Amino acid sequence: MNAKDWKILLVDDEREFITTLAERLELRGIPARVAFDGESALEAIAAEEPHVVVLDVLMPGIKGLEVLERVKRTNPLVQVLLLTGHGSTRDGIEGMRLGAYDYMMKPLNIDTLIEKMESAIDYAKKAATLPGKSDGQ
Amino acid sequence: MRDALFMGRMTASATHELQNILATIRESSGLMDDLLAMGSEGFAHAERFKKGLGVLAEQVERGMILTEQLNFCAHAPEKCPAGADINEAVRALVGLSRRHAARRRTTLVLAPGRSGLRTSLRAVEVMDAVGAVLEAALDVLPMGTQLMLSVEEQGGLGVVRLDSPGFEALRQAPAWSELVALAKALGIGLTAGPANMGVVLALPRPAA
Repeated sequence: MNAKDWKILLVDDEREFITTLAERLELRGIPARVAFDGESALEAIAAEEPHVVVLDVLMPGIKGLEVLERVKRTNPLVQVLLLTGHGSTRDGIEGMRLGAYDYMMKPLNIDTLIEKMESAIDYAKKAATLPGKSDGQ
Repeated sequence: MRDALFMGRMTASATHELQNILATIRESSGLMDDLLAMGSEGFAHAERFKKGLGVLAEQVERGMILTEQLNFCAHAPEKCPAGADINEAVRALVGLSRRHAARRRTTLVLAPGRSGLRTSLRAVEVMDAVGAVLEAALDVLPMGTQLMLSVEEQGGLGVVRLDSPGFEALRQAPAWSELVALAKALGIGLTAGPANMGVVLALPRPAA
């Protein structure tokens, strides 16, 4: 799949951070939508079923790990990359247990993020073709 | 202890915010770099602009290291069931003490330590004990000294060594008896290093 066909959702309450990240991805030909809290992220996921959700673990309202759990129940093939901080590395590890594809620490390296997105999309494609298998990781 | 835990929670929250600030600066400077790379013909100050973005990137890296060490400090008063990671505690202490040491024209060098070595103490107690020895050493060691810290295992115990010529002066200073008392209260063995060239702190092993 060409990068321009990827469906990416970026979720973080840090508006400047996440909108600038979306702009940088778009400059690289990767379309990205943004959501600023867990509630609107869940709505966007239900409506658009993105290939990859980049999700901050520490947000006001519904926390990142709760969003992850709900996504894995309703849209198991959606791959989730968690964004963690120094104080939330444990959340990243817990997120992997809950079905996140991977986690990354902020500040991000955009090239590494894109590599992880591509790898997550490849993984989801393979998972979708396995007989009787539709639960991502 | 209650106040240390409270300050830790406040500091942890602040380091999280600082991390978000650094992440936003990195993305914004990254965007400027991307736009510059797309075409800077006709922009007379492109090179100066690029240099400025390079400085921003370096300062973000510097800030990330500092916030990581500060975040470690924030969680250091918490009791960890598996015991504190000695190398992590000493690494954070050395990182946050470099500026103080530089004022005494002393360079702190942290030898690559054995990771995973633990003690029954909380990280804040490791930092307090090693930090007290470090501060006392900075007071008596001659300016321009290089002070090497290392974490190793000796006879099943996690050991922190501070090595530098001139430590004999520390053991004769009035502060030494206070350091011995602090170490004793924490269950730490405080002895002279090999050939009297430094100080060795033997930390209590974690509970089985």
